[in-house]
Amino acid sequence: MGIIPRDYLANRLVTLLLTVFIAATLIWIIPRLSPIDPAEIALGRMAAGAGSVANSEAILAQLRAQLGIDQPLAVQYGKYLWGVLQFDFGLSTASFPTPVSVLIANALPWTLGLMLISLIITFVIGNLLGAFMVWEHTPRLWKVVIPAAMVFTSIPPILSGLLLMWIFAAKLQWFPLTGAYGLTVEPGWTWTFAQSVLYHGFLPALSIVVVTFGFWALGMRGLMIGVQGEDYTTLAKAKGLRPRYILYKYMIRNAILPQITAFALKIGLLIAGQVLVERIFAYNGMGKLLYDAILNQDFPVIQGVSFVIILMTAVSVFLVDLVYPFIDPRIRHGS
Amino acid sequence: MTILDIRNVSIDFPTSRGVVHAVSDFSLSIPQGRRIGFIGESGSGKTTTALAAMRMLASPGYVSAGEIHLHSLGRTNVLEISDEEMRRVRLKKISYIPQGAMNSLNPVMRIENQIWDGIVAHEGAVEQAELQRRSRAVLASVGLPEHVGSLYPHELSGGMKQRVCIAIGVCLEPDLIIADEPTSALDVITQRQVMQTLRDVQGKIGAGLILIGHDMGLMAQSVDDLAVMRLGKLVEFGPVRQILENPQQAYTRELISSVPLVGGESFIQSTPEVLRGPPGPLLQFESVTKRYGALTALHPLSFTLDGEVPKIISVVGQSGSGKSTMGSLMLGFTPPTGGRVLFRGQDINRLSAAEQLGFRKDVQAVFQDPYACFNPFYRVDHALKFPFRRFGLAQSQAHVQSAMEEACHAVGLDPALVLRRYPHQLSGGQRQRLIVARALMLSPKLLIADEPVSMVDASLRATILKNIHDLKDKHGISILYITHDLATAYHVSDFVMVLYHGHVVEAGPPKDVIGAPQHPYTRLLIDSIPWPDVSRDWGAAEDGQRGLDALSDADVARPALRGTIPGFDLTVGA
Repeated sequence: MGIIPRDYLANRLVTLLLTVFIAATLIWIIPRLSPIDPAEIALGRMAAGAGSVANSEAILAQLRAQLGIDQPLAVQYGKYLWGVLQFDFGLSTASFPTPVSVLIANALPWTLGLMLISLIITFVIGNLLGAFMVWEHTPRLWKVVIPAAMVFTSIPPILSGLLLMWIFAAKLQWFPLTGAYGLTVEPGWTWTFAQSVLYHGFLPALSIVVVTFGFWALGMRGLMIGVQGEDYTTLAKAKGLRPRYILYKYMIRNAILPQITAFALKIGLLIAGQVLVERIFAYNGMGKLLYDAILNQDFPVIQGVSFVIILMTAVSVFLVDLVYPFIDPRIRHGS
Repeated sequence: MTILDIRNVSIDFPTSRGVVHAVSDFSLSIPQGRRIGFIGESGSGKTTTALAAMRMLASPGYVSAGEIHLHSLGRTNVLEISDEEMRRVRLKKISYIPQGAMNSLNPVMRIENQIWDGIVAHEGAVEQAELQRRSRAVLASVGLPEHVGSLYPHELSGGMKQRVCIAIGVCLEPDLIIADEPTSALDVITQRQVMQTLRDVQGKIGAGLILIGHDMGLMAQSVDDLAVMRLGKLVEFGPVRQILENPQQAYTRELISSVPLVGGESFIQSTPEVLRGPPGPLLQFESVTKRYGALTALHPLSFTLDGEVPKIISVVGQSGSGKSTMGSLMLGFTPPTGGRVLFRGQDINRLSAAEQLGFRKDVQAVFQDPYACFNPFYRVDHALKFPFRRFGLAQSQAHVQSAMEEACHAVGLDPALVLRRYPHQLSGGQRQRLIVARALMLSPKLLIADEPVSMVDASLRATILKNIHDLKDKHGISILYITHDLATAYHVSDFVMVLYHGHVVEAGPPKDVIGAPQHPYTRLLIDSIPWPDVSRDWGAAEDGQRGLDALSDADVARPALRGTIPGFDLTVGA
């Protein structure tokens, strides 16, 4: 306990960098195994727009040079790695010639905001409900309602999103249908803008919360059953501690530990899980960017988004590794 | 003055197969300051009765009849007060010291916090300095130093954790302390330390004590009155001396006689004709040492165990003495740091895959916890069949069945009753006997039995040890019996090694080593055994630590080798 030993920190950092490096390499290799030529796709797009393209061979060669895929693989790989270090993933083929990094930089804050808020809400609600399913002092009504609410978990996010849109946006008109902020609002650090963002983010966040809280609740339920049978919970009761104190300080405090690891892993996965929700609500985040990139076979963007997902997962696992010994005294840095 | 009155209490557990009457018509009064033992086999209702007084029965159990009066509450029936009133009774009036001290403390909370939260729950906000003072005082009263308060449970030994539980139990000076087998997981030296500490603080605060257990010796040394329970009924009650010296009921006599004693009558009948194996060394240690980092778990040790005449070699010592390390070295679970472990002349850490399979068949193990040894998903016959098939011994379906039945009969189980059951449907004793049967089916040459009976009822220990002893006589299997129970080692073994901090300090035939110990450490072990004889002095809480402190390095380095037996040669040191 206390401060983090330097050896341990160095060790974890090396693991982090190695993970990211291997992931970056895989992201580069996988598309190159595919027979699709991005230059041809770009050309095809031009042809579709103009009806026909003259000098197609010359244009193709020019496109290849621009995309850098006319060079030997080793050179391409080297340039790619050098680019990754500077968060440069080249140019998008679909929104040519916008750099991928610009697209990501525009989309990332929206997703991070939506994702982190909904993930934290889900984590808190899900774990609490899971704990209440087990706790002996939970009112009987709750014990019936919570498992019934698990039904929502089986709804695909696309359906829950549409359902929420229909009820709250179309019928009740409490919330806007789509978008990340009002069309008439000027983006900036203003109160009106913030209000607009929260107002627009509510339904997408809710649709994520509704379908994902069950994951945490069911996991927590299993962990709580284990903790409930532990001798320390029995002794806590025999000590005459107040039931609520036992619930938080003895039961949830111990049961939550594995959930925190799961939380770190979920951070990366959520971008992928959010793709359809963002698409439905026309929310300009990473999910929608990835969705559009897949539709348009926009490899540089897919690469860039994948890299961001991996980076986020690796960093959050790294952070949990550092923090864990502080929340579980049995785990020590370095052992 | 009576502090607790249990009147005609019956406790029922409704199950899908009908109501189980766990306790029926139980009445008992507990006077202030008196120590009362509840003794009986598992399932006799002793813990259930005690927990009923705290209203902590495991679901779905409930008190179906009777009253429990706590006198300091003004003769109120505790079964009728509100949950909040009951909460205030716990710890303040009746405290509980649990059985599994290993897991009874919250792993993520410092010790002092776990003492403070109890105080705060009953007295409201208390100043930090006052809490600090009280937790230190109560830790000191159970013989723990001040700094223990700021540690986490995993940083303490089993004996220290149990003393923390006692500290929590006495910190509010309750009327009654219920101690549920508080020392069953501890070795004899620590057991005496913890038990005498509990008696001392209980006497100091003048609380009544209910001690739940199944060890007649421990009862004789610890309580004033004894309540013998069987199948939920109070069989016999009276002063402990009267019950031990003049038991009225057959069941009580049975309980008393089932305790194996050092020097007492043997519960083993040896067969004159012992099955012989092929001559030649079976197991050899060649200057084996084992280190874990800076800690030496086993100091250089060499021995040769000949396989011709099967023998039982006992390894005794406290927790942490290195005896289980020795077992895992023999099983090849962990390689030695120095030296070689040979089985039939071959280094067991350099076996080919095929040789390893043969080694695994020939060397079987029985472990301490019969609950953890079965996969709860399968019926128990799966655990018997699987290795039998895996080692290619099964000739046909019928052959497997007959082998299983034969093995069950050999350990005194009715195959029709046990084989098609799931592990949770069997008692601990039945499971442990099945583990022995499973080992027997493979006709091994060597059996490593690591504390095989420490988790089963005292009355069943003798039976299981008889089964194990039969493996030697009737099946020609040599056995390494690892235990902290000197009395059973005295009876079953041909040779005993006493281990202390990885050193063999005394070794020889059991009649010499345990019957007339020479080394101070062995003497300390023997003195720590609670004797089922009220007149015998068990010593004080500090005696154990004082004895250990008095052991000099020279004592440890100078083993008392007390003679040899044919077929087992021991060399201590490099």
